[in-house]
Amino acid sequence: MATGGYVGKILRVDLTARETSVIETEKYTEWGGGHGIGSALFWDLCKDKTVSGRDPGNILTFMTSPLSGTMAPSASGRVEVQGIGTAGYPVNWFTRSNFGGRFGGQLKYAGWDGIALEGKADVPVWLDIINGKVEFRDAADLWGKDTQETQKLIWELKENEEHGWTEIGKTRDSGRTTQKPAIITIGPAGENQSSLGCLVHDAGNAAGQGGFGAVFGSKNLKAISVVGTGSIPVADPAGLLNARIWAKEEYAAAPGQRVEPNGPTFGVDPAPVFLYAKNPDGPMGPQACQGCINGCRARFDTGIANESSCQETSMYKAFDTLAHGEGTDASYIATDLVQKMGVNSYELMQGIGYLYALSKMGVLGKGLEIDTDLDMSRVGEADFAIDLITKISNREDIGEDLADGFVRAAEKWGRLEQDYAIGILDFPYWGYANHGYDPRAETEWGYSSIMGDRDMNEHGFNANFWSVIKHMMAGLEMPVSAEEYAKITTAKMVPYDDDPNMVDYSTENIYSESFAKLVVWQRHYTRFWKQSALYCDFRYPDFTNYNREDNVGITGDGEPKFWNAITGQDITFLDGIELGRRIWTLDNAIWILQGRHRDMVQFASYIYDIPLENSLVGPYYPMAGKVDGQYAYINVLGRSIDRDGFEEWKTHFYNLEGWDPASGWPTRETLESLNLAFVADALTEAEKLGGE
Amino acid sequence: MVDKDINSIEEIVPAEEKSTISRRQFITGMGGIGVGIVLGGTLFKGFLLPDEVIAIPASGGYLLVDSKKCQGCNTCMMACSLTHHGVENLSLSRIQIVQDPFACFPDDKMITQCRQCADPKCVSACPTGAMHVDKETGVRTVDTAKCIGCQECVNACELNLSGAGWNFEEKHAQKCDLCLDTPFMDADGGPGGQQACVAVCPTGAISFTTEIPVQTDAGYEVNLRDEGWAALGYPIDDEGKVSPAAAAAASGY
Repeated sequence: MATGGYVGKILRVDLTARETSVIETEKYTEWGGGHGIGSALFWDLCKDKTVSGRDPGNILTFMTSPLSGTMAPSASGRVEVQGIGTAGYPVNWFTRSNFGGRFGGQLKYAGWDGIALEGKADVPVWLDIINGKVEFRDAADLWGKDTQETQKLIWELKENEEHGWTEIGKTRDSGRTTQKPAIITIGPAGENQSSLGCLVHDAGNAAGQGGFGAVFGSKNLKAISVVGTGSIPVADPAGLLNARIWAKEEYAAAPGQRVEPNGPTFGVDPAPVFLYAKNPDGPMGPQACQGCINGCRARFDTGIANESSCQETSMYKAFDTLAHGEGTDASYIATDLVQKMGVNSYELMQGIGYLYALSKMGVLGKGLEIDTDLDMSRVGEADFAIDLITKISNREDIGEDLADGFVRAAEKWGRLEQDYAIGILDFPYWGYANHGYDPRAETEWGYSSIMGDRDMNEHGFNANFWSVIKHMMAGLEMPVSAEEYAKITTAKMVPYDDDPNMVDYSTENIYSESFAKLVVWQRHYTRFWKQSALYCDFRYPDFTNYNREDNVGITGDGEPKFWNAITGQDITFLDGIELGRRIWTLDNAIWILQGRHRDMVQFASYIYDIPLENSLVGPYYPMAGKVDGQYAYINVLGRSIDRDGFEEWKTHFYNLEGWDPASGWPTRETLESLNLAFVADALTEAEKLGGE
Repeated sequence: MVDKDINSIEEIVPAEEKSTISRRQFITGMGGIGVGIVLGGTLFKGFLLPDEVIAIPASGGYLLVDSKKCQGCNTCMMACSLTHHGVENLSLSRIQIVQDPFACFPDDKMITQCRQCADPKCVSACPTGAMHVDKETGVRTVDTAKCIGCQECVNACELNLSGAGWNFEEKHAQKCDLCLDTPFMDADGGPGGQQACVAVCPTGAISFTTEIPVQTDAGYEVNLRDEGWAALGYPIDDEGKVSPAAAAAASGY
C-alpha cells in the first residue's frame, strides 16, 4: 500500500525465467528503506549466501527510501545497491554501493520502492520499466556500447523524445512526463565482467565500488530504464515544505552565494568539487542530484566529463602532472572515459600507481616478467589512459590479469606479500583501493572500512580535515577551535554523547574505547540515516555549519524532521541510529556466513609497518586531537597502526556491539535484543554463533 | 473562488471601452500599463474585428527563471506538486525542467513556466470559462469544476512545452497559479504571497516580479546571476559564454 513516502511495491525480477513478481513493501518497512530493506531482502531471497558475485544465485537489490523522489534536502536522489560483489580480497563480501541522480525518483514515480534481481538471462537483455509495465527487451544492439551511447539509444527508442510532454501510455490519462527515462547501465567493463566494472546513470552517477558492473554482466543485463508518472504520498506535505524552507534559511548557503569553506557538509555553496590539477577553464553551469540543497557538480561547454566531481576528477591528476609538470586535457579525457566505459576510478587511480611502480622496478613492461603491450613510458598521456582503460574494459592483455582487481592480480603475479610490504600496492582494506584518507592518519576511515566490507566512503569526520586544510590554504582562521569542534560533534553522537574523547585522533587515543565508540556510532548512523534513509554522504552528517552563529549543524534535528514529515512516523534521531545497529548486525551475520572471523580482520601489512608521511595535500593531516589534555588541530602524520593496539581496539569494538570478542560473532542475547532471533538460529545452524 | 473570477471577458470590460485599442497595440505596447488585452470571443469565430478587442487585467505577478543558474535538482517541481496536490510527482508540476545530461552547457537545461500571458491563449481557447483570469490577482488559472477535459488550453499555449497541463490523476487542466490555490502550503500564495518554487530553489534561479517582463521566444528567461555567482566559478554574462576564471577575476572576490 502506498503510504507515507512508500509507493508500496518492490519489483522482483527473475532473469532466468524472464518473469517478474511483486513483493509488498509493507513486509519490509520495519527496516526503514534503502540498505535496511536491501539487506533483509538479500537475507530472505539469497538461499546460498556463499555463492560468488557472478553466480546466477546472487541477488542484486536496488532500494530507494521513503525520502527518494521527495523534497527532503539532499536525500531524494540516491539509490542503494547491494549484493555479493566481485571486488575485494580475500572474500567477495556481500557489499554495497550507491549512486545519485534521478533514478530513485523515477523508480518511485513508476510505483516501485525497489528492485530485486536474480538469475541470469540467456542472452543480453535490458529492462524497460514504464510505470507498472515491465518488459524484458533484447540488448543485442546495446551490447558493446558505452554507457553514454547506451542511454542515448534507449532514449531514441522512446517515442516523442523531443522536449515535449511525452505520453507514456495509450490514453491521455495513462500519464505524461517531460523527463527522460532514468537509466542505470554498464559499459564494456561490466559486460566483460571485470570487477572494475561500474553501474552508471546519466553522465556522472555511478555505483562503482564492489564490482556490481560484473554482476550485471554475469546476469546478461545491460541496463534498467525507468520512467514514471505516479505520485508519492507524503504524510505532512505542508510540514515537509516548511522543513525544507527551514533547512534552506537556517543551514544552507545563501542561494547562489559563496560561503565560508568547509568539508562536505550541508552548509557548503553550490560550487562543483574539482580535484583536477588544472580545473576546466570554459564556461560551466551547476548540476545536482534530485532534491539537493546545493549540488557538487557541473556541466561544461564542451560536454566532456559532464557531472564528474571529486575523486573521479583526481583520478589521473598525479600522472598527468608527472608527465607534463601541470594539469592538461589528459585528465579530462581520462575522467570522461571512465564514466563512458564504466570503470571504477578509485581502483584505477591506485592501480595505475602500482603499475607505474612495477615498471620503474623493471618488473612490468613489454617483454618483462609481467609482460604487457602497455607503453609505460606514456603514463600521464591521454593515449596511455585510453589504452589501459580499453584493455581493462575489454579484458585484453593486462586487462585479463586485472579482471578481479589489482590485489588479485598481484597475487597471481606472486607479488602480493612483497608489494604490500613495501607499500606500493596501496589497497589497505579487503583489497580495496586506499581512498586517500589513510588508516594510519584518519583512523576512523580505516577502522570503519576493515570492520565492514569495503572502503567505507563516508565523509562525516573527514569533513573536518577538509575544513582545516581549506582554511590553511586560504590563510583563514578556522571558525571553530578544535575544542568547539569536539564539543559540537560529540554532542550529536547519541547514545555516546557523554564521551568528549571520541574525536581525539591523537596516537594515545586511537586504540581506546572512546575511539571504538566513534566507529560504532558511525557504523550505526550511516547504516540507517545515510544508507537506508539515503541522506547523501556529501551533505550529512552536518556537525559544524559555519552559516550559523553557533556553528552547530543540522544533524540530529534535520534527519528525523524530514523522515517524520514524509512517513508520518514519530521517530527520534537515536531511534534511527538504533535501527542502524540492527541493520549493521544483520550485515555482519551475512559476512559471518561468508566466512568472516575476528582473525581475518587485518589491514595490509604496510599499514602497520610503514609510517605515513603525506596526506593528499602534502605533509599535513590535521585532525582534532588532545595535547596535554586539551583539544587542538594536530598533525596525525608520521605514524603507523600498532598491531597490538589494533587488537585492543577490536576488543572494545566487539564489546560495544555485544558480539563475542573472541570470534567477532554476535551472541544470541544480542541478536534477540535486536529482534534478530532468526539470525541467531541461522548462525547456530552454521555453528557460527558467538559465545555468551 | 468561482464567484470572484472572470469567466467571460464580456463581464469585465464595459462595451464602450472595447474599440479604443488596435490589434497592433495589444500585441506590442501594453506591457507598461498593467493591462493585458485579448480578443474577446473572436478566436472562436475565426476572424478579428477592431471593436472586439477587449482589455483584461494583467497578471499580478510573473515567474522569471534563469536556466543558466538552475542546478537541475527539480526541487521546484517537487515543491509545486507538493503544495498544490499534497504529493510528490514531477508530472503534476506546473513548472518543468527538461535536461540532457550529455549536452553542452548552457544547452543542457530548459525551464518552462507559464508566462501569465498578457494575451492568454489558454483562456481564449477554453470553451467553458474554466481557464480564466482571477478577478483579484489577474492570475490566469483553472476553475477545475468547470473543466470538461477538452485540453484546448493545453493545445492553445504557444510555448514549445505547454504551460497548461493535463492533470491525469485528478482529470482536469492545470497551470501555474503563482501558488494562489495551494491547499498544502501554510503561507499565503499568489502575487504578494509565497511561491513555493521560489521559496525552495537552492541557487536563486527562480524569481518573482510584479512588472510585466519583456516577452521573447525564450519566455521570461532572464539573467539572475550576480558577482556572488561568479565567485563560485560560473559565468554571469547573459549568454553564459565567459569563462569562470575570467568571471571570478572580474568579480573582485
